[in-house]
Amino acid sequence: MNLLLLSCELLPLLGIVLITLFGRKEKTIATISFWITHAMGLSIFGLLAVWASTGFAAHEFELFSLYKQGSYHFPVLFFLDRVSAVYLFAVWVIFSVIVRYCRNYLYREPGYKRFFITIFGFAFGLNIVVMSGSIDMLFAGWEIVGISSFLLIAFYRHRVQPVRNALRAYTVYRFCDIGLLLGALLNHQMFHESDHFSNLTVLFEHTAPQPASYLGLLVMSLMIFIAAAGKSAQFPFCFWLPRAMEGPTPSSAIFYGALSVHLGVFLLLRTMPIWSYHILMRSILFLIGFTTLIIASLAEKTQSNIKGQVAYASIAQVGFMFMELALGLETLVLVHFLGNAFLRCYQLLVSPSIVAHALRMEGAIDTNVAPTNPASKIRLPVSIRDSFPEVLQNTLYVFALQEGNLELWVRSLLWSPLKRYGAQINASKLWQLLLTGGVLIGSLLILNQGGFVSASVFAFPLAGAMVLASLSAFSQKHNFIGTWNAVALSFALAGAAVWFLQPQASEEIIFFASGIIPSWLLGITVLLKLPKPETFKDTPFAYRAMAETNPLLALLLFFSFLGLICFPISPAFIGEDLLLYYASKEYTVIAALIAACFVINGIAAARVYLRLCMGRPADFVRGQ
Amino acid sequence: MTVANSSHPASFQLDAAINRVSRWLPIQGPIKDFIHHNILHAVQQHPFHKGVAIAAKVYGARSYLPAADYQAMYRKGRIKDFAVDWAIRQSGYTPEHYPLLRTNLFIEDDTQHYPPVSLANNGIRNHWLSHLETDLNSLVHPIMFRLLGNFLDQGISRWTLSKKDEPFCACVWRLAQNSLLPLYPFDTVWAQDMLDKPPDEVILACLQRLVGDEALYEQYILELLLGHPGWSGMVRLIELRPNALLKPRNISLKELIAIELLAEWAILEKKFGNSFNTVRQLPDMSNIPLLSDYEAKASVPLTLQIWHEAMEYSRYAELMVALKDQPAPQKSPVTPIAQAFFCIDDRECSARRYLEEANPAIETFGAPGFFGIDFLYQGYDNAFVVAQCPNILSPKHLILESSTQPSVDKHNLTDGLSDLHVQSHSVLWGWLFTQLLGLGYAVKMVWDTFRPGAQLLRFKTLSEVSAQTHLHLLRENDEPTEDGRLLGFSFTEMADKVEGLLRNIGLTKNFAPLVVVVAHGSSSTNNPHFAAYECGACAGKPGAPNARAFAWMANSDAVRALLRERGIDIPDQSFFIGAMHNTSRDEITYFDPHLFERCPTENFEAFKKAMQQGLHKNAWERCRWFELAPDSNSYDDAHEHVKARASSIFEPRPEWDHSNNLYAIVGRRQLTKNLFLDRRSFLQSYDPNTDPDGTIIVKILSAIIPVCGGINLSYFFSRMDNSVYGAGTKLPHNVIGLLGVANGVEGDLRTGLVSQMIEVHEPARLLIVIEQTTAILDLAFAKLDATLMAWLDNNWVRLVACHPETRQLFFYHHSGWEAVELPEDYIAPVANCAETIFTGKHRTIPVHVITKVAATT
Repeated sequence: MNLLLLSCELLPLLGIVLITLFGRKEKTIATISFWITHAMGLSIFGLLAVWASTGFAAHEFELFSLYKQGSYHFPVLFFLDRVSAVYLFAVWVIFSVIVRYCRNYLYREPGYKRFFITIFGFAFGLNIVVMSGSIDMLFAGWEIVGISSFLLIAFYRHRVQPVRNALRAYTVYRFCDIGLLLGALLNHQMFHESDHFSNLTVLFEHTAPQPASYLGLLVMSLMIFIAAAGKSAQFPFCFWLPRAMEGPTPSSAIFYGALSVHLGVFLLLRTMPIWSYHILMRSILFLIGFTTLIIASLAEKTQSNIKGQVAYASIAQVGFMFMELALGLETLVLVHFLGNAFLRCYQLLVSPSIVAHALRMEGAIDTNVAPTNPASKIRLPVSIRDSFPEVLQNTLYVFALQEGNLELWVRSLLWSPLKRYGAQINASKLWQLLLTGGVLIGSLLILNQGGFVSASVFAFPLAGAMVLASLSAFSQKHNFIGTWNAVALSFALAGAAVWFLQPQASEEIIFFASGIIPSWLLGITVLLKLPKPETFKDTPFAYRAMAETNPLLALLLFFSFLGLICFPISPAFIGEDLLLYYASKEYTVIAALIAACFVINGIAAARVYLRLCMGRPADFVRGQ
Repeated sequence: MTVANSSHPASFQLDAAINRVSRWLPIQGPIKDFIHHNILHAVQQHPFHKGVAIAAKVYGARSYLPAADYQAMYRKGRIKDFAVDWAIRQSGYTPEHYPLLRTNLFIEDDTQHYPPVSLANNGIRNHWLSHLETDLNSLVHPIMFRLLGNFLDQGISRWTLSKKDEPFCACVWRLAQNSLLPLYPFDTVWAQDMLDKPPDEVILACLQRLVGDEALYEQYILELLLGHPGWSGMVRLIELRPNALLKPRNISLKELIAIELLAEWAILEKKFGNSFNTVRQLPDMSNIPLLSDYEAKASVPLTLQIWHEAMEYSRYAELMVALKDQPAPQKSPVTPIAQAFFCIDDRECSARRYLEEANPAIETFGAPGFFGIDFLYQGYDNAFVVAQCPNILSPKHLILESSTQPSVDKHNLTDGLSDLHVQSHSVLWGWLFTQLLGLGYAVKMVWDTFRPGAQLLRFKTLSEVSAQTHLHLLRENDEPTEDGRLLGFSFTEMADKVEGLLRNIGLTKNFAPLVVVVAHGSSSTNNPHFAAYECGACAGKPGAPNARAFAWMANSDAVRALLRERGIDIPDQSFFIGAMHNTSRDEITYFDPHLFERCPTENFEAFKKAMQQGLHKNAWERCRWFELAPDSNSYDDAHEHVKARASSIFEPRPEWDHSNNLYAIVGRRQLTKNLFLDRRSFLQSYDPNTDPDGTIIVKILSAIIPVCGGINLSYFFSRMDNSVYGAGTKLPHNVIGLLGVANGVEGDLRTGLVSQMIEVHEPARLLIVIEQTTAILDLAFAKLDATLMAWLDNNWVRLVACHPETRQLFFYHHSGWEAVELPEDYIAPVANCAETIFTGKHRTIPVHVITKVAATT
C-alpha cells in the first residue's frame, strides 16, 4: 500500500523528468505522458482498491524525516482517508481525460513540452496536497500547485494580458499563503508533535483545549479561512478566477474548473477539527460561503463570455460547499465536489461549442433583470409587479457587472497602500534612511548598555528595516537589480532579527541562508548579463522576452526566483518555517511581519521574472 | 477641475475625423457568419507592396516572411532563378542595379521582417502613457469591454443589458446615474455631469484635457481605437450594418469613443488628480510617428519584396508551365452518364479529380456554391434567418424549410437532456443540478474524450442537415412579409437564376440524364470558427439549401418551359438532384429522395458508387497533411480518421480548410482535367466560345475577385502576422457574447483567422487564370466595376490569360499584357497517378501532369 501511495506521488515527477530529458518531439512527449498517466491511474486505482480492502481505514505513512532539530520536526508524511480517496478519484478521472484531450488539442502548439511539464508539475503538487500527512507537507504541495498555475496562466507569454493575469492570480495565492504559513506555525505551537492530520481528528475528542487557546484557535481558523478562500476564489477573492482563464482551454478546465479551485475545500475538510470547534468560526465560514454565493450567482448572470460564466457558476457552488462545511455536512460536500468538478470541467472543455449551439436555440431564456414570466411575477407585490423599479434593476446590474467590486476593494486595501509606502521609501534618500536607522539603533544600544532592555529588542528595528526593504522591492519600477537586492536584504534582515531573538538558532538561520544566498547570487549574475537599458529606451515598459531571446538565462532566473520565494526545492522552504518557528517563540508579531515580508518579496520577485522573461522580441526589435 | 464648455474652434471636424479613422478598423462581422475578406481593405487603393508597408506602419505588423525562409526555399529549389530575375525586373530599378539587388538577397538578416515603429504600438498615446508611467489600457479596457460585451451580447449572459432601441450612451448613463451603486469610474460628480452631455461635447472636452493639441486629436482617436481593434471594428460594423446582429443594438463609434475617453480621463484623475501632463506637453515629440507622415515614412523592404515576388512567380510558373502544354479541347463524342456541379472551392478540386477518375463518364463543373440563387433561409430547427449568398448581394427572397414529418415537436430538437449544462438555472436548482447530474458528466467527458466520433450525446451542427424536410420555394402570394421580404420565387425568377448559372458555366446543351448539384459544408465540433469552414459563397453557411433549391427549380416543368424559350433545352429525361459534400468528413448527402421517382436509377447508382470511391481517395489525399493520421495505405483508415477529426471535441483542426489556396482557374474542365493541383485551385467552369464580348467573364470576375481574392488575402495576412492580422492560437479563446472570440475573459475581440487554420499556408497572392484571349478580356475589363478593377491594377490579385487554342499565356499588369516566357528546359513534372505524387510528402507540391488514362468502370 505504501508502495502504491509513493508511486502515485512520484509518477508525475518521473513524467517531468522524462519529458525534460527526452521530450524533443511531440510524439515522444505524447507517448511518455500517455504511459505515465495510465501508470498513475493504475496506482491510484490499486491504492484505492487496497485501501478499500482494509475496510476504508485511515492510513498514515512516514517516509523519512526531512529535518529534525530540537523540538522542530519536518517529516515526509502521507495520509490517506475518505477525503483523500475522493479527491484522488477525481484527480484520476480528470487528469486522464485532460492528458488525452491535450494530446491532440495542443498538437503543433509552441510550448507543447512546457505545457506537459507544467501539467505534470500540477499533478505532482496536487497529489502531495491530497495525500499530505501534515500541514507542512500540504504547504509544499500547495506551493507547487500555485507555481504551476502561475506558469499556465502565463503560458501565452507573448501577450501582456495573460502575464498580467498570472501575476494577479499569483498575488492572491501568495497573499493567502500568509494564512497557511501562520496557520502551520500556530499549528506547531499549539499541537507540538501532534500536528499530523491523523492526530488532529482525535485530538479534540479527548482533551478539551484550555479556554485560553480559544483565541489561538480563532486566529488559526481565520488564517486557514484566508488560505482556503484565496485558493478557492471565495469572498473577497472571487475576482481572480475568471481572469485566470488565459491558458489553453483544457488547462483552464483542470485548474479553475475542476481541481485547483476545490483545494480550499480540501484544506477545510482536512482542518475541520480545528475550526469546527466553535460556533463563531463556523458562522464566519458560513458567511464567507454565503456572501460568495450571492456575489457569484449575481455576477454569473451578467457574464457575457462563456468562460467567465462557468467560472462564476463554479465559484457559487464552492460557496455552497463552504456553507455545507460550516453546517458539518462532510459527506454531502464530497459528493458536491465530485459533481461540480466534473460538470465544470466538461462545460469548459466544450465551451467553444456555444456559438453553434446558441444558433439553434430559441432565445427562450428569461433575459431581463426584472422577472418577466407570469409565474415569478405573481410573487411580487402588485404595485411593482409590472414596474420593477428601474433603479433597483440598474443597481443589481451594476453590482453584477462589477462583480461586487471586490477587485477594486481588495486592491485599494491590500495593494495600493503597500505600493504607495514603497514608492515613498524609494523616493527618500539613502542617508535619510541610514540616519534614522542609526539613531534608532544607537538609542537602543544605549538602553541595552544601561541594562534597561535585553538584546532581543534589536529584532524590532531589524524587522522594521526588513519591512522597508520588502516595500522598496515591491514598488520598484525600473531597477531590476535593485529589486533583487532589496528582496535579499529583506531576507537577511529577517535572519538577523531572528538571531537577535534566538541566538542559539544560528544553525537554523545558516540553513535558511543556504537556500537564499545561492539563489540571490544566481539571480544577480543573470541580471548583470542583461542587455543595457538603452536597448529599451523607447519602450521602457515592454516585457523583455528573455525566454525567447536567451532561454538559458531565463531558466536560471526562474530557478533563482523559485529559490527566493522559498519554493520547496530549496532549503529555504524549511528554513522559512524554522525562522518563523523561532521568531514566534519570542514575539508572534515579528513572526507575522516576517511572513508578510516573505509574501511581498515573492510578489516582487515574480514581477521581475515576468517583466524580464515574458513578452515578445517584436515589441522592442524594429524592422525597416 | 476645469471642464471647458465652449471655445472649441471649428477647425477640428469630429465626424469627418471619425470617418477617416474608421477605415483602419477591421470589418469582420459577428462570428456566426464568417466572411473572408481582404484584411487590409484600408489600403487597397494603393499598389500591393506600398499598401502593405503603410498598413505595417499603422498597425505594427509583419508584412513578409523572414528572409531566411525565402532563402531556404531558394536552396530547396522552390524559388527558381528565373523567378528571382523576373522579380528583380519588377522592382522598378534600372538594369545596372540588378547585380547589387541580387547580392543583397542573400545577406542574412533576422530582424528585417520585424514590424516597424508604428502608430498602434509607438504612437503619441503610448509615449504619453509611458511618460505618465500608467498602464491605462489595463485599467480602462476591462471596463469598456465589459460594458460593450454586455451591451452587444447576443445570448450568453442571463440578464440582457440593453433595452429596446436604447443607445449605448443612454445605457451607460442609466447605469451611472440611476443606480444606487456607483459605476466605476464614472462615480465622481464631474464625470456624471459629463455623461449628461451629448457625445460630441464629451469627446471634445476630453480630447482637450488629454491631448491638448487639435492637430493630434485625430491621431489620438485612431490610436485609442487601435488599442482594441476588435471591439472598435465590431462597433463600427454594427453601426453601419445593424442587420449583422440577430438581436439589433443601437451603438455608434462616436459613443464608444466618448465613453472610453471619459473613462480614461476619470481614471487618470483618480490617480493623479488634475496634475497630469497632456500629450502636447510631452518632452520629446520628434521621434514619434505621426498620422500626418505615416504614408511618407512607410518604406517597402526591398529585398523582402523581391524575395516574395520571386516566390510567388515560382508558384505561378509551376501552374503556367503545366497549362502551356495542355491540348486544345476536343468535342467529346459521348454524352456523359452524369454531370455534377461543384462549388468553385479549392477543397473540391481533388474531389472532382477523384470522381472523374472513378468514372470517366461523369463530367464535372465548378461555380460559386450558392449556384446563382441568393435568398434568406430559415432552417427547420434554426432559430434565426440567415443569408445564403455572398455578402456582396442583398437577397430579397425568404425560403422556409419545414419537416415532411409534421409530428416532430420542434422543441425536442434543442431542449434535450444533453443541453442541460448550457441552460440557465436558479441558484437552488443549480445546487441540486450540480449534485445530481455532475457525476453523470464524468461519464460523458470520458466518453467524448476516449471515443471521439461515436455519436452519443452530441450537438447537431448546422452542416448536418437532415434530409427529411421540404423547402417552400414557389411563391404563392406576391405580398411581401412585414420585413419586406418575398416568400419564395416566381417561375420567371427561377428561370432567370437557373439560366444565369448554366450560361456562366457554359452548359447549355448536352445535358446528361442525371445532374447532381453538389453543395458543400463542413462539420466540426467545439469550434467557434465553424462558419469559416463552410461555403464562402454562401457567406459561411453550408450550401445545402441552394443545391436543393437549384435542383427543384431545374426539375420544374414550368421553369424548363421558360428556359426552352430562351434557348436552353433541358431534355425531359434529365433529372437534377441536390446534394451536399461534407468536406471535413468526406461524406455526401443526397436531398429530397421523396422526389426521386423520375430519377434515372442506373445512372444514380453509378454516380453514388463513383462518388463514394472518390471520397475515400479524397480523404486519403487529405491525410497527407495530418501528421497524426494513420500511416497505412488503406482508404478506409484514412476515411475513419477524417471522420473522427470532425467529431472530436479536442480537435482544433477538423480540416485545413482553404490553406495553401493559390490559383483560380476559369475555363473548360479539359484545361485542368489532367493536372494535379494539390487542392490549391479554385475552379470555375467557363466556355470561352460562348462569350464573344466578355459579358460572362465580367459576371464571373465579379464573384471570383471578392470571394476567392478575399479568401486568399484573409489567409495571406493572417499567416504573415498572426498576432496582429490573425486571431492567434485558438486554444485559449473564449466566446464573447456570440460576437466573436477573445483571449481570456477580458481580452479584445480577435479578428482574422486562428493560427490552427493558417499554419501550413504558404502565403502567396491569388493567380486568376482565364481561358480567353486578351482582346476579349480587355473588353471585359472595360465593363468591370472600378473597385474590382483596382484589385487587379494594384496587384492584390494577379491574373493570367490563357489562349483557348494556342495556350499562349499573358500576365496582366496595369501597364499591359506581358507575354509569359519560361525557360526552355523548365517543364512540368509528370506522374501517372495522383497517389504517386503525394505519398510521403508533407509540404506543398508543384503542379503535376497526370498521364494515366483513368480506368473505365
